[in-house]
Amino acid sequence: MISLTLGGVTLAYLIAGLLFLGAGLWAAPRLQRLARALLWSGLAVHTGALLGRWLQSYSLASQHQPPAGFGELVRLVVLQAPLSNFYESLVFFSWCLPALALISFRRRLEGYLGALVATLACLLLAYASLGVDSSIKPLMPALKSNWLLIHVATCFLGYGAFALAFGAALLHLWQTRRTRPELPGRALLDPLIYQATVIGFVFLTLGIITGAVWAESAWGRYWSWDPKETWSLITWLIYATLLHARLVKGWQGRRIAWLAVFGFLAVLFTYFGVSFLLPGLHSYLT
Amino acid sequence: MTSIRLTVFLLLVLALVAIIGTLLPQGEPLDFYLARYGNSAGAFLWRFRLTQIYYGPWFLGPLSLLAANLLACLVHGLPQALSRVSRPFTGEVAAALPERGRFSWPAEVDPHGAVVTAFRQELGRPRRLVFPDQEIYLVECGRFRPLGPYIIHLALLLILVGGVLGKFWGLTGSLALGQGETAQTFVKDPRRPEQALNFQVRLDRFQVRFYPSGVPEEYRSDLTFLQDGREVRRAICRVNDPVSFGGLTFYQSSYGAQPTGPIRFKVCRGEDCHPVEAPWRRRVELPGGQAQIIALRLEGDLQGLGPAVQVAYKRGPGHPQIFWVSQNHPELAGKPGSPFWQPDEYRLTLTDLPFRYYSVLQVKKDPGVWWVYGGFILVLAGLFLAFFRSPQRWALILKKGEDGSWAGRLLGSAPRAREAFGERLTRLKERLKKGAGS
Repeated sequence: MISLTLGGVTLAYLIAGLLFLGAGLWAAPRLQRLARALLWSGLAVHTGALLGRWLQSYSLASQHQPPAGFGELVRLVVLQAPLSNFYESLVFFSWCLPALALISFRRRLEGYLGALVATLACLLLAYASLGVDSSIKPLMPALKSNWLLIHVATCFLGYGAFALAFGAALLHLWQTRRTRPELPGRALLDPLIYQATVIGFVFLTLGIITGAVWAESAWGRYWSWDPKETWSLITWLIYATLLHARLVKGWQGRRIAWLAVFGFLAVLFTYFGVSFLLPGLHSYLT
Repeated sequence: MTSIRLTVFLLLVLALVAIIGTLLPQGEPLDFYLARYGNSAGAFLWRFRLTQIYYGPWFLGPLSLLAANLLACLVHGLPQALSRVSRPFTGEVAAALPERGRFSWPAEVDPHGAVVTAFRQELGRPRRLVFPDQEIYLVECGRFRPLGPYIIHLALLLILVGGVLGKFWGLTGSLALGQGETAQTFVKDPRRPEQALNFQVRLDRFQVRFYPSGVPEEYRSDLTFLQDGREVRRAICRVNDPVSFGGLTFYQSSYGAQPTGPIRFKVCRGEDCHPVEAPWRRRVELPGGQAQIIALRLEGDLQGLGPAVQVAYKRGPGHPQIFWVSQNHPELAGKPGSPFWQPDEYRLTLTDLPFRYYSVLQVKKDPGVWWVYGGFILVLAGLFLAFFRSPQRWALILKKGEDGSWAGRLLGSAPRAREAFGERLTRLKERLKKGAGS
């Protein structure tokens, strides 16, 4: 049921992406509104599917061991948040993209930028549905912590915001040779890159901090130079460079866009590369 | 030292060194590198301390420079930021702001109510200054924004201090305890003698629960802390739920099973069966003298099938074969492809497997943790100030004309958030115009 719903959401994102593309090509405000409405409805259904998965995961766990009392019930609900394996993290990642874009870019999410966001979300969701094991597995002892929800959620919101900055940066770099009138102007894209980077940086910082506090209580070390930790630090350093370059040196445009691209490559490696290539403490995600 | 170029350079250098650190396996013994990268390259990596990259000059060098850079930035900029923050927003300061609009109210209308409402709805509660010839309404937000970046830098320094404190004055070790055992020491470094505790810790009970699939669901150690043989405190130590006592913290890190006596097998060759007693990790001849076994490992619950022993079985000159013997499921021995498969003509079944669990605890003391946590809180506060509190100053100067009418001048600026400022200005003007006649 949930996988079917998510299939529908994937399709909605795909069509929204095409509509945004059409709206960008023919400068049609009606198409623009239609695309945005479709993206909103896809996001609403996606949210429903996430909650449904949460409920499913909770009811499985409560069948195994019914919670006694309200406190334990709340704890079980928090623990069973659908963020505990690779499939669930992909579904949440793809949720973050349209959610952050619609909320933080608002009406500036249009045309090619909208098409990029919707397509990226569609691809992530399609990969999750087709290429990844979607079964619900019981939680291992190390993951049984109230920090799980906030740590994973903040990290992926950060990744999502960086993906938006990456999308805006791509459109910016595409116009370096000559301005393309059908694309959002560079003057518009520049603040978008910055804004998305700030959101991502704050979330990534939160994600690293919550992870450190959790690691201190689970492993007795707030920092262990595990590959995932190190790569999130590398990502953090790259975006810190971007923010300093912009805020202190006043860099704009092309150079900032390149930094946003490099930063997102580091994000991708932190997420996929480390999980598949470098063994470590975070390897339960795959 | 204060140069931003240096900062950016150091940030990128640190990122690069960290990348090397994740691609090159860290903290392995010398032999590992010699075997993996060849003699000369392995020795090179070892000698230049690339194998301990985070604890050597490659990482700590640029990191110390970055700390000096942060400190210089703080010393250089913080006083300026503080004086900017402490400068009050007065009538004179307000009068120097750029003008954003003019309004007038006819003689019979009192503008005060309308102004306060408009300000409140758009900006927040205004301050009112009354002078003989004019009245000024003031609103300021984001006044402390200039402190944001300095708070973040201070916080990062605190975190680094915490790390140094932990490195030099902290300690970590591990402690393996069987059920019922009491420990007075723990292992700090496997190559050195054990470190003494100034109390004793006893493992009263160790419990492990499994999911039906055989994956552990939860494990816990019931500990009692003793001082001079007297029970002082009982505590339960679980994963994600450490216990502190006597300045040390105990973390449930793993567990294992070990036999409490010899393992007894029934070894059959066709119909010909004999009992065999196998002491732990010792070579034992099987009846007939043609094969030998060694009991290597013990699991309390292997794949959800109950207790099992891993056995190395050797017959003739070839390599030994490794398989598991299950206590509750002897029939698995005939199943090819399973880890329980016994390929040869001997058939081993367990008749007695006395074992107990032992618990592995991590022991730790880190006086730097609270510095690090303090740094975390300050980082968040600093980020909030720096990115979500853009400074804005607004003023409305009201003057009463000779005929009793009122004239208002709206002033304001927000150097760091022009876009948001513009939107607010439009809305505020509309609200004020609604109240005013013109």
